[in-house]
Amino acid sequence: MSYLECFLISILYFWGSSTALSFGVGYFTLYRPVISGLLTGFILGDPSAGMSTGAVVNLIYMNFVSTGGSFKGDQMLTAIISAVAAITLNLNMIESAAIAYPFGFLGILIWKYRLNINSIFVKKFEQEYEKGNNPEINLYNGFLPQLLLYIMSTAVIITALFIMNLIGSYAASLNRILLIIGFGLIIYTSISLIFKLKDNKFVLIFVGSLIITLIFNIPSYLIVFTVLLFLFFYRDKALIKTSYDMRKMSILNKRDLIYAWVIWANYSHSCYSFERLQGLTFAHSMKNIFKKLYNDENEIMEGIHRHSEFFNTEPNIGTPIIGYIISQEEQAVLNKEQNYNISFVKKGMMGIAAGLGDSFTQVVLTPLFISLSVVLCTDGYYSLAVIPVLILASLILIISYIGFMKGYYEGKESLIERVNIVKNSKIKLYFPYIFSGILGVSLGKLILFNYMYFFR
Amino acid sequence: MKKIVLTRVDDRLLHGQVVVSWIPYLKANEVIVVDDELARDEFMSLLIKNAEPENVSVNIFTVEEAANYLKGEDTGSKILILIKNIEYIEKLLEFNIALNQINIGNLGSNSKRKKYYNSVYLSDEELNMLQSIAKKTEVEIRMLPKDKEIKLDKVNK
Repeated sequence: MSYLECFLISILYFWGSSTALSFGVGYFTLYRPVISGLLTGFILGDPSAGMSTGAVVNLIYMNFVSTGGSFKGDQMLTAIISAVAAITLNLNMIESAAIAYPFGFLGILIWKYRLNINSIFVKKFEQEYEKGNNPEINLYNGFLPQLLLYIMSTAVIITALFIMNLIGSYAASLNRILLIIGFGLIIYTSISLIFKLKDNKFVLIFVGSLIITLIFNIPSYLIVFTVLLFLFFYRDKALIKTSYDMRKMSILNKRDLIYAWVIWANYSHSCYSFERLQGLTFAHSMKNIFKKLYNDENEIMEGIHRHSEFFNTEPNIGTPIIGYIISQEEQAVLNKEQNYNISFVKKGMMGIAAGLGDSFTQVVLTPLFISLSVVLCTDGYYSLAVIPVLILASLILIISYIGFMKGYYEGKESLIERVNIVKNSKIKLYFPYIFSGILGVSLGKLILFNYMYFFR
Repeated sequence: MKKIVLTRVDDRLLHGQVVVSWIPYLKANEVIVVDDELARDEFMSLLIKNAEPENVSVNIFTVEEAANYLKGEDTGSKILILIKNIEYIEKLLEFNIALNQINIGNLGSNSKRKKYYNSVYLSDEELNMLQSIAKKTEVEIRMLPKDKEIKLDKVNK
């Protein structure tokens, strides 16, 4: 690998694990092994090899959920190393996934460390505020933590690439063992996912679709096309309905709202710390709002600082909270009184939105669309495999944006409305059926593909 | 007396970690949020009620209501109690409610609180309260079920 390739990979790894600077959808796209594998493949000149092994890593990590900054391993680092192994050592997609698997634990260090280390920026922000220096929230929530993350992720990825380089040629000679380990990991995840659905009918669907695939080997694009058509037909219209009652605005205008949303979406986990979690980001997205609401420099700073308190929610489902709080701050200025209720409401709403949000975006939407992408890769339809991920990303963006606007225009009831839409979601209802079927097909395809390979 | 499987202290109450990890892990089918302020706020109570996870009933009570409710007949449900204010634990214990296992998940920082352990920030007063609670019942710090549990008195300060 050349220095340029290493550099590009470090940028990729930083960008994906940052979840910032990508309108919040980086976590649902770049960070997913199937896409990080593809992009690593692009850098190394073999996108299909990168994507196919990325898909296998994705299958192993299909039960990945991160809530409040804790999860089982770093799937993106695993995918990058896996793609590197596939391309430079000429391993097949399952062997390279197996060799890359332990690297996931190296990557988890960053996340653990990051939640601690970001407290430095929180403290610094506080100190400057105490001194009356009106600290720039952009600097403490945006630039500094991102710079640090870039340095940390580069150190980790270089270490990983170095270790890979040391053990690579030796490990490659054990390719049969790797193949068995890889299959073991895939089967383990699939089975634990299916049993988590807690209903024997899903086991039947899984086994049934596995057997049908082994016998008839139906092309995956036909299956995915049918599923997408079905999903389109049963989509949760209310969740992505783009119209809302726009009332007349007084001090703020729509541009201010969009700006605040862009900041929120882009930086929701930028300075993620145990101390405040997303507190600084909340403050960051209020910056331009207070600039509009107050004239006095100190009042602006006081407002921003007031919103830097502990805050944590699911960043996309939870957007009505921010929209609503903005409307409350505006009302407070219009009525010339301090609204003491704001912090209480904010904290009461954040947990609810997170509980429901995580169990929808991370537990339903993401595995649903990502598994469609994975099954296409197991068949070699790499260009088509990008489509489900793009649909997922657009959905997340729409959900995030609409919620923000509804929170502002329609008030706190919009969060109750959203809670009920998500609870009664049809996609959520049909998800386990589709998902267990797709997992069965993916496993079937991988067995068919590797059967020939194993006995050559 | 009803069966309480865990009492969780968390600023975020019914939150992602609770819904996605703890409830399935504990096999809890009833959640009780104990908070005077929230229970008296009509909108918040409505919001929390509306956010009931599948197959789990959620109630929101003041401390007194919670104590009376918990003293009721055991109907076989497994209850997870969610609290964000440590004071309420003390009060529940004063009402003779047996909380056998107390779990501290996340308490964010504020001007009075100091860092105690990773995601747990406590004021001096809160720490004292917890230490006296820990003499009567088990108190652990643990974010997720799969994390290692850390007993309150084992934290190296």
